[in-house]
Amino acid sequence: MNTMVQKPMSAGASPTRESMELFLIHEAKLLDERRFRAWMELFAEDGAYWVPASAYQESPFNHTSLFYDDRSLMKTRVDRLEHPRIHIQTPPSRTAHIVSNTLIEEADEAKGEVLVSSSMMMVEYRDENQRLFAGRQYHRLRRVDGHYKIVLKRVNLINCDSVFDAMAVPI
Amino acid sequence: MPHVEDPSTLIQPGRVHRRVYTDPDIFEMEMERLFGRAWLFVGHTSQVPNPGDYFSTELARQPVVMTRDRDGKVHVLFNRCTHRGAKLVNDRCGHATRLNCLYHGWSFESDGTLAAVPIPDACASGFRKEDFNLARVPRVQEYRGFVFASLAKQGPSFEDQIGPMKGNIDDLVDRAPDGALAFDMGQHRYGYNGNWKLQIENVLDSYHVPFGHASTVNKDGVQFARREGDKDGAKVVEAKNENKTTTSWRDRKSYVTGNGHGWTSNTILDEGKRSSPAFDEYKKALVEKVGAERAEQILTPRLHNSLIYPNVSIMGLNIHVRVIKPVAVDRTEVTVYPVRLLGAPDAMNFGNLRLLNVTHSAASFVQTDDVESFVRSQKGLRSLATDWVDISRELGAEEPDRTQNALRGSAVGEMAMRAQYKAWVGYMSEVAQ
Repeated sequence: MNTMVQKPMSAGASPTRESMELFLIHEAKLLDERRFRAWMELFAEDGAYWVPASAYQESPFNHTSLFYDDRSLMKTRVDRLEHPRIHIQTPPSRTAHIVSNTLIEEADEAKGEVLVSSSMMMVEYRDENQRLFAGRQYHRLRRVDGHYKIVLKRVNLINCDSVFDAMAVPI
Repeated sequence: MPHVEDPSTLIQPGRVHRRVYTDPDIFEMEMERLFGRAWLFVGHTSQVPNPGDYFSTELARQPVVMTRDRDGKVHVLFNRCTHRGAKLVNDRCGHATRLNCLYHGWSFESDGTLAAVPIPDACASGFRKEDFNLARVPRVQEYRGFVFASLAKQGPSFEDQIGPMKGNIDDLVDRAPDGALAFDMGQHRYGYNGNWKLQIENVLDSYHVPFGHASTVNKDGVQFARREGDKDGAKVVEAKNENKTTTSWRDRKSYVTGNGHGWTSNTILDEGKRSSPAFDEYKKALVEKVGAERAEQILTPRLHNSLIYPNVSIMGLNIHVRVIKPVAVDRTEVTVYPVRLLGAPDAMNFGNLRLLNVTHSAASFVQTDDVESFVRSQKGLRSLATDWVDISRELGAEEPDRTQNALRGSAVGEMAMRAQYKAWVGYMSEVAQ
């Protein structure tokens, strides 16, 4: 495993587009390297990971989602991804996450929060099959102890309401 | 009709021939004789709450649309323009005063009546509008919002076919303080490269859980909590031996009522400890509506999964309704509906929804390992070395349960699969009328 990992930006100055991109690239790399526990640690304790199951979905509270994990469900997910008998990951998925077209949507200096949007693609290969996920993602980040933590990661897949064959790894 | 010799020869006591899962000719025959005749679950009336609302789906691969007309009556119509055959409604659900064909502009009322044909003076002499109303699915029946339909004009009545499973529908619907459900929280949709019967066998298969779902069980052999208010799920394997199924899991029962239907008894959980702000508030709302004694009955779990053969299952643990759609002999799509308990607090309905995301979405912890088993079964069954698939566990050990009006067997046996194939032979041996 490559240990030359870009650390999440240390926060002090105003967020710049470059610093945000480095954060997103770091997150993508953790996922591609299957370092799911380290990925989970990017989230704030009250953070959530959300992939809606319908376009323009307003809320995860009154409609199904492909993923809507708070830290407690995220931990169950990560425990399972590390379980030796997870059949849907035998063999494991290999992924390539690509992040692009990054924009800072909002920055609230007082609260130490920033909302970053980016285009994403994830190519997944597993068990002789390759498939493609694409969409736009929104990261709401909060400065905690000099580092940014994810308060909400929302991924709007362009095909969010289609039929999916089983998915195991986070997008 | 493709040539298939007597399909009943493919089913023997305790085993079925691999071709029932792999032969495209058998699949075509299933669409005609089984899905073409059985009472199939279409949808729930809450999916078309207002006049003009529609919901489109497929029955036996055929496009149909469920509508609510101006008078509030629900119809199930073939989703095909009676002119040149274009699919009329293209989106999954919506609202329209009339259903308009995109191609030449024919328009239909929501009860299927042909309303208008553009440039009517060019119609052939003798053209009668009343001959071109949308075709109707021949038989439609509703029970507590659950809409079923049969594509055959004749056949066993709804009461004969679905009647014995009404109690299983009641078990779910009665959990709503207002005694009604709404299918208005979206759906999960997953697909797999495998035969549809792998899914319906699986919903009544308790044998697989400790092995198929090993990745959902912690080091104490306990599954993660799947219900609002629970701290833990069921203990399915012994802490010291991950291959040893617990006695409490092994002692669960399965039941069959004929027609391929069946259910498994509830998962053993510590009901006394079930508590959370959302669950407690829900319980209070239920008690207020139905009284303490009835609320206690409703909240005492009786069922895990119920299968209404051949295309719908109802789960009583983390509640939902699941519809199985055969696409091809080796391709199946499944829709999972969360159900909103009317009269329950929003927090309780969200609790159910939140956990359904992680048990039955395409990205869930539970269903994904089942899907992998189905895909692996379909691949394994390509082997020509062995023709027979074994479903003989507890063969001959079933006994009548008069209080349940059903046959009872061990949940880790395979009585439920044998009952499904008994119904299968019944359907497959007769031509649809």
